[in-house]
Amino acid sequence: MKKKVLSALLSVAMVATLLVGCGGSSAPAAESAPAEEAAPAEEAAAEEAPAAAEGGFHFELVSKGFQHQFWQAVLQGAQEKADELGDTMNFVGPNSESDIADQVQMFNNAINANPDAIGLAALDTSALLDAISAAQAAGIPIVGFDSGVPDAPEGAVLANAATNNYNAGILAAEETFKLIEDKLEAGAVIGVLSQDAVSQSVGDRGLGFIDKMAELVSGKGLTVDVTGNEKFVNETKATVTAGGDVTIDVKVPAQVTAELSQTDCLNLLNTPGIICVYGSNEHSAVAIVSANETVGTVGKDVVGIGFDAGATLKGAVRDGVLAGAVTQAPFAMGAATVELLHKAAMGESIADVDTGCTWYTADNMDEPAIAVNLYD
Amino acid sequence: MGDIILTMKGIDKSFPGVHALDHVDLEVRKGEVLALMGENGAGKSTLMKVLTGIYKKDEGTITYEGKEIEFENPRAAQAAGVVIVHQELNMLSHLTVAQNIFIGREIMNGQIINDEKMNEESVKLFQKLGIEIDPKEKMGNLTVGKQQMCEIAKAISHDAKVIIFDEPSAALTEAEIEELFKIIRDLRDKGMGIVYISHRMDEIKVITDRVTVMRDGTYVGTLITKDCTKDDIINMMVGRVIYEDPKTQSAVAKDAPVVLKVEHLNAGKMVRDVSFELHKGEILGFSGLMGAGRTETARALFGADPKEGGDIYINGEKVTINTPMDAVNHGIGYLSEDRKRYGIVVGKSVAENTTMATLKEFMSGLFINKKKEDEVAWKYVESLKTKTPTVDTEVVNLSGGNQQKVVIAKWLTRNCDILIFDEPTRGIDVGAKSEIYTLMNELVAQGKSIIMISSEMTEVLRMSDRIVVMCEGRKTGEIDIAEATQENIMQLATQRN
Amino acid sequence: MTDKEKKGGLSNNPIVKKIGGQRLVVIFVIVALFAFFCAKSPTFRQYSTILNLLDTSYYVTYMAIGVTFALITGGNDLSVGTGMVCYSLIGGYVVTKLGLPIGVGILLTVLCGVLMGILNGFLVAVMELPAFIATLCTMMIARGMGSICTKSQSINWPQASSAQGWFRSLFKITVGETKYPLGFLWVIILVIVMSIILTKTKPGRYIIAIGSNKEATRLSGVNVIKWHMLAYIICGFFTGLAGLAYGATFQTVAPGTGAGLELDAICAAIIGGTSMTGGSGSIIGTLLGVFIMSLLKTGLPFIGLQANWQQIITGIVLLVAVLIDVIRSKQAKRA
Repeated sequence: MKKKVLSALLSVAMVATLLVGCGGSSAPAAESAPAEEAAPAEEAAAEEAPAAAEGGFHFELVSKGFQHQFWQAVLQGAQEKADELGDTMNFVGPNSESDIADQVQMFNNAINANPDAIGLAALDTSALLDAISAAQAAGIPIVGFDSGVPDAPEGAVLANAATNNYNAGILAAEETFKLIEDKLEAGAVIGVLSQDAVSQSVGDRGLGFIDKMAELVSGKGLTVDVTGNEKFVNETKATVTAGGDVTIDVKVPAQVTAELSQTDCLNLLNTPGIICVYGSNEHSAVAIVSANETVGTVGKDVVGIGFDAGATLKGAVRDGVLAGAVTQAPFAMGAATVELLHKAAMGESIADVDTGCTWYTADNMDEPAIAVNLYD
Repeated sequence: MGDIILTMKGIDKSFPGVHALDHVDLEVRKGEVLALMGENGAGKSTLMKVLTGIYKKDEGTITYEGKEIEFENPRAAQAAGVVIVHQELNMLSHLTVAQNIFIGREIMNGQIINDEKMNEESVKLFQKLGIEIDPKEKMGNLTVGKQQMCEIAKAISHDAKVIIFDEPSAALTEAEIEELFKIIRDLRDKGMGIVYISHRMDEIKVITDRVTVMRDGTYVGTLITKDCTKDDIINMMVGRVIYEDPKTQSAVAKDAPVVLKVEHLNAGKMVRDVSFELHKGEILGFSGLMGAGRTETARALFGADPKEGGDIYINGEKVTINTPMDAVNHGIGYLSEDRKRYGIVVGKSVAENTTMATLKEFMSGLFINKKKEDEVAWKYVESLKTKTPTVDTEVVNLSGGNQQKVVIAKWLTRNCDILIFDEPTRGIDVGAKSEIYTLMNELVAQGKSIIMISSEMTEVLRMSDRIVVMCEGRKTGEIDIAEATQENIMQLATQRN
Repeated sequence: MTDKEKKGGLSNNPIVKKIGGQRLVVIFVIVALFAFFCAKSPTFRQYSTILNLLDTSYYVTYMAIGVTFALITGGNDLSVGTGMVCYSLIGGYVVTKLGLPIGVGILLTVLCGVLMGILNGFLVAVMELPAFIATLCTMMIARGMGSICTKSQSINWPQASSAQGWFRSLFKITVGETKYPLGFLWVIILVIVMSIILTKTKPGRYIIAIGSNKEATRLSGVNVIKWHMLAYIICGFFTGLAGLAYGATFQTVAPGTGAGLELDAICAAIIGGTSMTGGSGSIIGTLLGVFIMSLLKTGLPFIGLQANWQQIITGIVLLVAVLIDVIRSKQAKRA
């Protein structure tokens, strides 16, 4: 323990190189660990470099952090693609998704490393604007991934490798509708849990779901009302009837904590007429699972729908608590990002790639094509 | 009066630069109250600190109950039965009375503290003292007087044989003092030896059996209280050779205009109905013992502490001073007795300190005009003969006297016509002292007026044109320098209600 | 304790005695808030909501009990928020990633807390660093360490259905179809035990004394370093318990989080009457403070208040609590 404290102290001191080797002495070098990953990758690339004639590029990827295991899969996909192309890469991310300043620092460090191209999943575009111009001035191409770089200045980002989150929300709505079609009646409530009302990706997943669901419900001859968080109520494209037959209730917690999201979900589950709850990312979907441990109605009277993967969600889908979930394709996203970076470094022109998403249930989650995207 | 219980012989103690105790003797007997008297800085507290192990003596012997001893620390002294009731109370305001008395030696019932037993024992102690205090009351809710009683109870619960009271009455009301005296007499009658440190001449006459007087770190002598007069004691306290020639005559014309008039100033316990006038070009000395309320008067006048009442006139015009800023705007500067805390910023340069109060005048737009700042700072360094290599030298590197000059420069840049010098030469060596004196004389010659608070009798007599004497927050007299003597000042300084 | 209460028939009951004064106000506020939320929201007045309220309050309660001890010494412990997450991550990591028995995970979680308490205590009591600074540093250390030890991945404590899921029943037990908040029983027991330690034993007495006047306590011959340090170790121990409760309640623990949770705990302690300047405080008061915080957090979303308004209201409650503390210490000074 003392050793760990010491090494932690050292590591804190090396803020920029946060993930450089540390208390790892006690833990086996896990393949997916970013700390150990960077170094072997460089060695591997060095060995392969002569073989890959056009390879040998170095990329910096600045992600949103490793808090969600999603990113481990992105990293893995990116690493495998880089190895395949004979390139090297350094994959970093801040401690949490609220550490905007840390990410700016990481992005600046990435520029200083003078790579052939930079991949960026911005936490806050406006905070990164100066750094983005610096990269442009240095002639380093930027490729966006995951949520990309929303509202980036014209021409700053060459292309994005991203899930179209709005479409992913639509997919969730379509699959959910099949499960709740029979229960739809006047007075029914559909709950939506959103982690926040700021992030574009989470917002789009919610809006895609709400818009499509409203459309499908209207098709059954029922009117729809959207209530709850102001952002979603104001931005939905659905035809809204105040006091409509079916209510779509959107909850956003005051802070992103497990406790508040769980409370929000419980609130929904206690609402009379609730037939379905949709959690639009791992955080919100986990909140459904933990709230259900108090109430116990999800998977019985209430249909639970998740988004993303992770051990808890996978377990819940397998146990039938969640009827199903949408997963992005993080592995493919990582690979597509590196491919775009590679092409950008070669000077080829590149275009956006939708890395797609998939609906998974207890029945299909073990199929290899799907399982590869279901990170733990 | 009984046998001798404690003898201190030839106690010598030096601190760097100060010979604090010069072979001092003291003798305490069972069943007596011994007064220990002397001016501020005479060495009374140091002597008691040597006794109770807070300081180590350089020379001399302490004999207690027939054995030569040297206490390692206050706790060892306590264990042996020598306890101090401090002027500043060592109390835990959040705990109850009983919990305070037994702190560090709780009565236990297994792992659980037996608060009830402690309460009972406390009641017994209070009964012994003949006082009534609820042992379950929080210490912080008691009056200062009651807290003092608790300290005494704590002291006797240690099975004390010698109790030292360090200015116990300073914060007490008359009634509380009465009660305190009753307790002290009781303790005396039970055979304890009591050392009573006080400035209050009247109390000394009432409560003590013998008086030991100290002066400048030396033992002067011991008198039997009932056989001597107040004047005898005062003479012993001030009877040193005066090595500075006192002013013989005021340098200010009787009809010099009054620049500052203070009427019926009231501020808390320490400033009660104080009135005085300051003439142009005058040095008005404020004399009195420690805690007489002189600094408090100055602070209230300066707006540093809230006033409860009183009028201030400057050049005949009534003014309102509620904050130091008001005072400065009316041309009053205050040189604090505690330079390091209030007067200067030690980590800043001479120039920065000089211009601190007038920074606005040194701004060019948003920035400080360093050139102008330096020019002014140099001007004052030269005129005040401040010894500093450059004006960019940090003040911390200057000697005390030169630091004081920087503070003076600060107020001169504000064109202050009235300067309050609070202990202007404290901590300053003799050579620098006379420079400060010269400077003060120059300032008044230029038409500025000075209020000088000083605890040094010689300083008061040498510098002042007129002397205001305070005691317990009240002005007890005003003496023209022509009539002033150490004796009549000391009379006024100890004149109580 | 006012005279009025002393005359009450229950005045000999130590718990009622302890509650007195300002805590009665807090109890009143709790009852009022509860009644208000029940009246306003039909979904609030259900057993599952109460269950959830208790469930999500355990971790704050443990942090708050711990931090109360640090506050009473006149210090603070800012490391409890990120620390709790860090210990929970480490404990969960060894169970789910390294496959060690759940018992090891539980012990390790608490042990990490104790070790951090020793570090904090060393820095504050021995090295005499200001508690705010020392624990601000350890707060950052804990945050980074959690990420490092788990390789920045979120950790899932065993699911309730799995073989190792039994430990979660310690907090919420299912008997037949009904779930019971078993964790609340432990909270009550620990609150009583810690109350006794604080008010009736030497460690508690000296911790209060240190917060009241450290120098006077030292001059009374008390080993202030030892007891000062103990306050932080107690705080660390309870933070470890909080880490367990957090893992059991939320199952998924994300590295890099936890900053800000210490403020909930400190806030709860202060609402409960613990002085920020040290020297006084009560564990029962802290528990009541946690209830107010949890009620607000649970109740405000239920009455349909927008997220931003929830924060404003919580902020106002905090402000009032701190104001009461300031006014109280001013009065104490005057007395």
